Amino acid sequence: MDQALQHLVNGTVLGGTYALLGIGLTLIFGVMRVVNFTHGELYTFGAYMAYGLVALLHVDFFLSLVLATMLGLALGALIELVLLRPMRKADIDSVMLVMIGAALVLQNAGLWAWGGVAKLVPTPFAGTPLVFGPVSVLPLRLFVLGVAATLLLVFWLLLERTRAGIAMRATFQDAETASLMGVRVGWVHTATFAIGSGLAAAAGALLGPVFMVSPAMGDLVGLKAFAIVILGGLGNLPGAVIGGFALGYVEEFGGGFVSSEYRDAFGFLLIILVLAIRPQGLVALKERVG
Amino acid sequence: MLRLEGIEVGYGRVAALRGVSLEVRQGELVSLIGANGAGKSTTLKTISGLMKPSAGSITWDGQPITGLSPREILRRGIAHCPEGRRVFPHLTVRENLAMGALLRHDKAGIAEDLEAMYARFPRLRERAAQAAGTLSGGEQQMLAIARALMSRPRLVMFDEPSLGLAPNLVEQVFEIVQEVRRQGLMVLMVEQNALAALSLCDRAYLLETGRVVRSGTGAELMASSDVREAYLGGRAFAA
Repeated sequence: MDQALQHLVNGTVLGGTYALLGIGLTLIFGVMRVVNFTHGELYTFGAYMAYGLVALLHVDFFLSLVLATMLGLALGALIELVLLRPMRKADIDSVMLVMIGAALVLQNAGLWAWGGVAKLVPTPFAGTPLVFGPVSVLPLRLFVLGVAATLLLVFWLLLERTRAGIAMRATFQDAETASLMGVRVGWVHTATFAIGSGLAAAAGALLGPVFMVSPAMGDLVGLKAFAIVILGGLGNLPGAVIGGFALGYVEEFGGGFVSSEYRDAFGFLLIILVLAIRPQGLVALKERVG
Repeated sequence: MLRLEGIEVGYGRVAALRGVSLEVRQGELVSLIGANGAGKSTTLKTISGLMKPSAGSITWDGQPITGLSPREILRRGIAHCPEGRRVFPHLTVRENLAMGALLRHDKAGIAEDLEAMYARFPRLRERAAQAAGTLSGGEQQMLAIARALMSRPRLVMFDEPSLGLAPNLVEQVFEIVQEVRRQGLMVLMVEQNALAALSLCDRAYLLETGRVVRSGTGAELMASSDVREAYLGGRAFAA
């Protein structure tokens, strides 16, 4: 039981960052119909920016996280403007190929710039865990969960409560009609890709200090992001949050109770199950047409 | 006044409009009738900026608006209520109406208009917080009309407002269209139901394969024998 509680806590920490990854990817797919293979690379980018700022430039840790996220936002905007905007009318396969190419370029640029040796991001947090009864958790992990939850909340408020958020959701649902309402769909695309990329970079900057930072760290994370999005139902934002936490828990409990060797496999097993039994995702959208 | 002159539009290499000229004058309700594929919806889409004409010109109050973006067209006071209602299914009714007023910044005026829409369509007030996708077809049509009006346009274009609605709702929709005109707005309506379209309008244009083949008052078009045969089912019903 105590052990289960501990896994619950760990799963929640992991799930929070997975949710960040998932909503970024699902938002981009939902609004732009772009299968974004660079998502894992933006995660890596965020982690390296945090490393560079903290370890090399000695910028304040917390400020570095903010800056790493901003840089991810900017890189996302750049990718959209340079690669995606000219391909607005292209078919989904061509765009996919371009995104795969972009991911390869980003990863190898990272390898070239940072070298292949894994790096450690120093943090101001104590290495001794906080103990709450039977559960212990590292302060850094608690911080990561707090920031992830705050980002999710801010993102949700932005989407639900602001004019720009309503316009973004409207574009998500029907771009042509949104343009009739005066929405500049092109800018919504840029903003969407930038925000999605910023969230991925934030997740990387947050988890970088928890794990190690290496050029290929985005590969598995990118795959997992797709898994989260599929779990939640493609293009479904609340679904991606639920999918993120579901994946976090499955990995944590599977790794803890069955085999830690197969930790990453449990997530993918879950996806196979969901696809076989409930291919529309865990959370179905309710809607009546006509 | 809205004036189209010699508008040509194609989908790829297929010509959809082959030189359409028409006018909507101050205070008028104008109907576009014609068979499926005649170019009625394309005409509206070209006016609202969703499609770019390859030739011809569109002027609004004497100013050229050809090729402007939908945003710029809406800013100039032309709203387009598209075919098939096209409400945003996962936005609430209130959010859908807010989308209609997206380009406006007069908070008081928006609140006033919202209240006016709720007063005119009590069902929308009851369902203000509900996702638009859960409304019935008729309610969605009312929402689509109200959304278009939320931009405070001077000209509204309705594309098949009665499509797929039960007969009593069809009547309601046409009543609303007339109300809109009585408020002093110009209306350009595309309608499959030619009899209704011709009896409501001041003037009408008959489109066939991307060309205006006849124009005149509603009564004139109703009286012309080819319109009666092809679109009002004159002979078929008489026999």
